[in-house]
Amino acid sequence: MEKRPRALLLKFPGTNCDAETARALTSVGFEAEIAPSSTLTREMLDGVSLVVLVGGFSYGDYVMSGRIAKLVTENKIGDALKGFRDGGGYLLGICNGFQILTQLGLLPDCSLVHNTSGRYQCKWSMLKNHAPNSPYLSKLPEEFEFPYAHAEGRLVTADPADAKKLVADGFAALTYSTDENGSFEQIAGLQDETGRVLGLMPHPERFMEREDHYDPDWDKQERGNGHYLFASLFEAVSK
Amino acid sequence: MVRAVPFSAIPMISYEISDRFIDAGDASALLYAPLEFDLTFRKTRRYLFELEDIGGDSTAALARFVKRTLLDEASQELFIDQNACDDWLFMIEYGMKPGGLDLEKEAIRARFQGRSQELGFHPNRFDLHQRVYVFGDLAEDVSVEEVAKTFVKDVCNPAIHKSTIHYPSSQALTGNALMDRITTHPTDFYRRFKISDLNEDELFEISQFLKLSLSKVDMLAVQKIYADWNREPTDVELEVIAQTWSEHCKHRIFGATIAHDGPDGAEAINSLFKTYIYDVTNRIMERKPGFVLSCFHDNAGFIKLDDKQAVCLKAETHNHPSALEPYAGANTGLGGVIRDILGAGKGAKPIASLDVFCFGPPDTPAEKIGAEDVIHPLGVMRGVVRGVRDYGNRMGIPTVSGAIQFDDAYIYNPLVYCGTAGVIPNGDIDKEMSAGLKIVAVGGKTGRDGIKGATFSSAALDTDSHEEDQTAVQIGNPIEEKKAADFVLAARDAGLIEFVTDCGAGGFSSACGEMLEDVGGEINLDTMPLKEQGMVSWELFISESQERMVLAVKEESLPQLQEIADRCETEMAVLGDSDGSGILKVKHHGETVCELDCSALHDAPIRQMKSKWTSKPDAAAAPTISNLGEALRDVLSDFAVVSREPIIREYDHEVQGNTVQKPLAGASGDAPQDAAVMRIDGSDKLMAMGLSVLPEWGKTDPYAMGTACVDECYRQLVGAGSNPERIAILDNFCGGNPDNHEELGALVETVKGIAVAADAYSAPFVSGKDSFYNYFETKDGPVSIPVTILISGMGIVEDKSHVVGASLRRSNSVVAVLGTTGNELGGSVLARQLEHIDAVPQTDLETNLALYNAYYEALKNGWILSAHDVSEGGLAGALAEFAFSGKGGLELNLDQLPTDGDVSKVALLFAETPGRFVIEIAPENREAVAAHFADHAYGEIGTATDSHTNLNIEWGKETLINEPLSELKSLWKNGLAPYY
Repeated sequence: MEKRPRALLLKFPGTNCDAETARALTSVGFEAEIAPSSTLTREMLDGVSLVVLVGGFSYGDYVMSGRIAKLVTENKIGDALKGFRDGGGYLLGICNGFQILTQLGLLPDCSLVHNTSGRYQCKWSMLKNHAPNSPYLSKLPEEFEFPYAHAEGRLVTADPADAKKLVADGFAALTYSTDENGSFEQIAGLQDETGRVLGLMPHPERFMEREDHYDPDWDKQERGNGHYLFASLFEAVSK
Repeated sequence: MVRAVPFSAIPMISYEISDRFIDAGDASALLYAPLEFDLTFRKTRRYLFELEDIGGDSTAALARFVKRTLLDEASQELFIDQNACDDWLFMIEYGMKPGGLDLEKEAIRARFQGRSQELGFHPNRFDLHQRVYVFGDLAEDVSVEEVAKTFVKDVCNPAIHKSTIHYPSSQALTGNALMDRITTHPTDFYRRFKISDLNEDELFEISQFLKLSLSKVDMLAVQKIYADWNREPTDVELEVIAQTWSEHCKHRIFGATIAHDGPDGAEAINSLFKTYIYDVTNRIMERKPGFVLSCFHDNAGFIKLDDKQAVCLKAETHNHPSALEPYAGANTGLGGVIRDILGAGKGAKPIASLDVFCFGPPDTPAEKIGAEDVIHPLGVMRGVVRGVRDYGNRMGIPTVSGAIQFDDAYIYNPLVYCGTAGVIPNGDIDKEMSAGLKIVAVGGKTGRDGIKGATFSSAALDTDSHEEDQTAVQIGNPIEEKKAADFVLAARDAGLIEFVTDCGAGGFSSACGEMLEDVGGEINLDTMPLKEQGMVSWELFISESQERMVLAVKEESLPQLQEIADRCETEMAVLGDSDGSGILKVKHHGETVCELDCSALHDAPIRQMKSKWTSKPDAAAAPTISNLGEALRDVLSDFAVVSREPIIREYDHEVQGNTVQKPLAGASGDAPQDAAVMRIDGSDKLMAMGLSVLPEWGKTDPYAMGTACVDECYRQLVGAGSNPERIAILDNFCGGNPDNHEELGALVETVKGIAVAADAYSAPFVSGKDSFYNYFETKDGPVSIPVTILISGMGIVEDKSHVVGASLRRSNSVVAVLGTTGNELGGSVLARQLEHIDAVPQTDLETNLALYNAYYEALKNGWILSAHDVSEGGLAGALAEFAFSGKGGLELNLDQLPTDGDVSKVALLFAETPGRFVIEIAPENREAVAAHFADHAYGEIGTATDSHTNLNIEWGKETLINEPLSELKSLWKNGLAPYY
């Protein structure tokens, strides 16, 4: 039997999207394992193709989103995730996972702060795909819809000009088609220079099936858009 | 030489952090009543550290820690020992009272505690404050102090916060006013009372002194029990008895003998619960073997999903705590019902939540509130919604269904119902206690928070409650509960749980009491993980500290359980053993502080009560309305009908990735839906959740309210695709003063109504709860809530292709109405607006059931494109909502609408007769559907159209309503936005 690529999902106290993300990964062909942060070691990354930081409220997101999860990760495994990336590994951060990836310095400098509305917002949005060659986005069209749900999804940079540069230099893989939360340049997702690290606020794992869409007549597509993100990734990792 | 430094003289180092990219906001947003002048505000956080050694290295090390742990340099700025803002008018600084749980503080403390060596500093004290700076100018005759006090009142809650107001002239920066500590350290850990020779008045005095909420009759019964045992009680035992017999745990009003004087004459009711809930459900279970898999004896009842799994639903109220501190009250209300699910069977997985609130209107003028320290309805609403949001979202349980009722009657006593559904493998439903098991506590530590919650909910509120009963307010920690939930589910899957229950009302005394009441056993309070020291025995045993579960496990499972606890980063402690003695024994500091034969406590004295219900308005002629379009606009912008979108969006309703039918949907993604539908992992069947709450009906006809609520909930579930044969419901009552005969009479009539309807629809009651004493002593006398019943329910959807939404999908389809429209306007939104008195519609249960079964057959044939239940707002409201998906206009004529005789045009549009759906049919199925419903109340009323975007309703040759849908939608969609 052919060996399936392994995905490791990190779970902190308060992480809560691990089950559905593992389900999504398994459905496209990955072997998915959930690793509680209490058990995390450098060795656990051996033989893993993809590390996923999933959604939720790691440590309650008290102080600020992703901060304590970053500190714990560094305490446990130092800069092993950087080494993992440099060794050809893929790293995906969804929602709280995106916040943790930025805290860990695995994505271009930015912060994810409170939405301009000051509120948590659970909604769907159209997104623009600026990285059709990304291993994560190759099967997705130029514009497509994903659900999102966050209170701290507003991407800011120390200097607003830096955000413009993120777009110009191709780091801003995904932008919202409309202003959803006050993100500079409406950025919804970032990739690193290798393209193997992607962080995004929307939740692809919540839109795997046709019937996950709020409108039963939304499209003629066979599966939900999230399926195509994970399927793109599976194809890239399997090469 | 070391010099002794007085405590207060040690300077605290202040690190204040502000956000760079958030502009100063409109200060009115912080208040329940908007300001007349333009003020703005900024919020900051202030971290205060007192170091043991303030030498250079230590301070520098602390600064490094703060920058690394607390600051985000890209988006925030740090101010050390200086204010973050200048030129402010005043500033409010607040923090949690000592003893109050501050989650952020605990998270930070965990980062430095025990790491002094590594980090290079050692804090003696650490505190966290919030600051609100207010900017702007006031007119000369306005006192800044008065304005500042208004802000404090609306921003802080004295039940949990300590606050100080700063003005620019004052140099107050130390925050010492916030540092007072509540210290109560009783010297003895338990007491014994000599009650054998007390008279009934003295006994009652003991009950009041200890706040036991036991009546004279109860106390005499206690005295008799101890006389039989020939000894005197300890305070722990009295507390256990008070908890066991409390209204919250024992539902003594539902078990009372009631002399009822109703519309059918005088009768004696021997237990409302037994007569109308238990017996009815048992009859239904006999008719439907194999459907209900468990009910009445566990934390939640289960129904069969498929051969592998079962689903459950449980709802609870948390009214009194939410009145005092809306955020914490609602937060722990949801946290508590989630634990009920975790403690159902050997641990069910929570998969979805619902919330139902009854509030005073958000625009209530402040002067209308006739008592001090009552939180304005807007403050209650905001706090409650945020409380539910922060618990549900952090736990990762989607909040998918809900309702809000606004009525003046709820100003003093808001109602907060929280419900959660769960799923479990069939083999894990049954659990049994036996001798020789270890009793294990998991999750949060035990502290003084929430002491007396169970007996507190058996007493009415008054102004003093807001000051006195602070210990009744618990504060939730969803991350703690998430870890405990992960633990329970992992332990269940590993087959390590023999029995599990949650620590809810009554804390360990009821959880351990429930586990050990038959088998007996011993609990040792010394092994309990504690939040604070110095707690006496009874406090430890009845504390309602949150996030705790109690398990019974085999001794050999302990090492494996400890491994799981370590993995989930939750705490586990062995409290004692079950021993087969039949005696509940509690030890503390080596002494036996409680030794009770629980079998003596099973039978609390049965209350003898009186009730009557007579009034019921006669049918009246419909009011004359000249502009029906205007009336529809008024109905759609009524608080009862307007979109709940601002609130729904604050709830994560899609986490777990299984919410197929969402609360807002349709082509535009923001149109209202009826029941929510959840996919279930590992099954091809789905679960629908619906609910109904109609307190306006019950004010004049509680019986009709009962039948209509069951009908509406059932109808929503069927409409969304549930198999009508596989629906179970829950009854959650809230009442005012049960000693008032009319109020109890309304309750009796309501119970009769739901029982008749449940029996007719064969929808068993698988869970239920009641909450009384929802009345308040204002300066103008007592104000009670109307009897309020929430019927919520779950239905099994057999296939995902059966899921039907409530919004128009096409612009060429046929629109029809199922069900008969009556003339009665009583209970409707329109009647309430016009203060029109009329009879409330009755529910024709048999006819409706036949119609729903026919609907289900049509649905399975694929004939139903969409279906919306007709409820608040009547047919006109339902049709407008139906078309809010934006797919097209509606061209309608009501000539073919099935009616009950001659019905006025006002009633055609706005009566809220139960039993009706608006449905959408593809043109090609039109004849087949008409033939299918030939023997039922069915009428085509028109078509969707792409030629205009109006709601056009005609009747004969008369145009009743012709309004642009975009305008109607805007009224509906934005109705709540200014308030939330």
